[in-house]
Amino acid sequence: MKLRQIFYLIREGLRNTWQNRLMALASVGVLICCLMLTGFAYLIYVNVEQMFHHAIEQNVVAVFLDKDLTDAQVEKVGITLNSMSNVDKVKLITKEEYLAKYAENLTEGIVESYQGEKNPMPNTYIVSMKDLELFQDTLDEIQKIRGVEEASYDAGVAETLSQIRGVVLAIGGGIIGVLLVVSLFIIVNTIKLTVYNRRLEIYIMKSVGATDGFVRFPFVVEGLLLGVAAGGTGYGLMYLLYQAIVDNLVIKNQLFSLVPFERQWLPLLVGFMAGGMLVGVSGSAISISKYLKQEGSMRS
Amino acid sequence: MIEFQGVYKDYHTGSHALEDVNLHIDDGEFAFIVGASGAGKSTFLKLIMREETPTSGEIVINNYRLSRLSRKQVPYFRRTMGIVFQDFRLINTMSVFDNVAFPMRVVGAKRRDIRRRVEYVLSLMDLQGKSHRMPLELSGGEQQRVGLARALVNNPSMIIADEPTGNVDPQMSYDIVQMLTEINKRSGTTVLMVTHEHDLVNQFNHRIITLEKGHIVSDTGRPRRTGTVSLGEMAAEMVAEAAVEMGGDAE
Repeated sequence: MKLRQIFYLIREGLRNTWQNRLMALASVGVLICCLMLTGFAYLIYVNVEQMFHHAIEQNVVAVFLDKDLTDAQVEKVGITLNSMSNVDKVKLITKEEYLAKYAENLTEGIVESYQGEKNPMPNTYIVSMKDLELFQDTLDEIQKIRGVEEASYDAGVAETLSQIRGVVLAIGGGIIGVLLVVSLFIIVNTIKLTVYNRRLEIYIMKSVGATDGFVRFPFVVEGLLLGVAAGGTGYGLMYLLYQAIVDNLVIKNQLFSLVPFERQWLPLLVGFMAGGMLVGVSGSAISISKYLKQEGSMRS
Repeated sequence: MIEFQGVYKDYHTGSHALEDVNLHIDDGEFAFIVGASGAGKSTFLKLIMREETPTSGEIVINNYRLSRLSRKQVPYFRRTMGIVFQDFRLINTMSVFDNVAFPMRVVGAKRRDIRRRVEYVLSLMDLQGKSHRMPLELSGGEQQRVGLARALVNNPSMIIADEPTGNVDPQMSYDIVQMLTEINKRSGTTVLMVTHEHDLVNQFNHRIITLEKGHIVSDTGRPRRTGTVSLGEMAAEMVAEAAVEMGGDAE
């Protein structure tokens, strides 16, 4: 196809969109709804993920060491813990620090009597993990390290968080997938109506020797335009709605903290525009190709 | 050139639209295809335009053997012909100029060439000054002339006219056939016109092929030239046409 033909067809696509503006408006409206629902599913997923990661950071294992370990042995246990693949962070609380932490709860004089060799507190490592799925395996490994007396943890929290994460991933992914398919289906059918309305034009195009590509191009431009319009408008509305939720529900009532929109603006913008264009273009291409193949009155 | 060799066309409904049609129309001929409703005229045209394929037999048009034509080749084959429809089939949302320019845009012609050629063809059809009008602002006869201009604009070797006089008054019908006759004489374009108007057909000295129940029942053959246009006139017209195409003045 020559460059001047491409420019002509782009102009035709724009002209067609304007001439079928009511139908175009309906398509854009449907696409905006689908994109916004998908966007909200994404934001819910992002927020749950944030809560999940926040919880993970709180979910630590206290590794109590044998009381008679030398400083070198304590350090060696620390090196072993750091070398484990699923261990994220390791922090040492010496027995002196441990004692000082509890000093305020003890009666006067007792702290002084626990100084030096008499300190009953163990050297303790606070360990956080990367993947909670591997929590139990990692814990078993820690308990096998020489010099470790006991590893204290809250297994319930770890398991519950792991389960929630799985459910969130499945539901979030499922919602996004289903909505994309639904929006594609709706766009295909809306543009099918546009194609049907313009069947005479398509017949004339084919009768004067237009190739399928030539016939298809303006419809694809139209789909692209609808996608961009829906993506841009949907993104704007999404921003306003999410900000309203953050301002009214979260800040005023202080229920919980949500991920600020500013932190997600780029992936959302890319997602809305790419999603809109993808659905618009593929919806148009599917409709017109199907028509040309099956129902085109000027067969070829 | 149009060649039908033992062509049969049956539809899924079981009807036999065409049976053993054999026909040869030379380049530069003007032929009427006449017949009543149900005679097979529409099927005949659909086969020529490669809208349908024959059940059996062979069709060769403008050196394209239609049974061997791939899906991708069909548009290129159609560009060798201009088609005029009974119901005009103009795009009502496009101006007269854009309707006529449309086939040239399909083939990727240059903007300058499109402007020059469209203006020339519109002047041939006596539609100067109406290029910016919309089709629905024109009379039936004018719309059909726009359709004729669109069929002519790519300088096709053949014009297929499907009952082009069906929606216009008798005088305009005569004028349209007269225009097609002029085009045929001046540029040697093959013209195939389907009609059921016997009275109109009899006013012209052209070949008449009669279809009845899917068979060719009569064919007058190619008539002798009556010399309506002299060689000098033809030469003058050809020079004028070439001058306009090159951006000059027909005078």
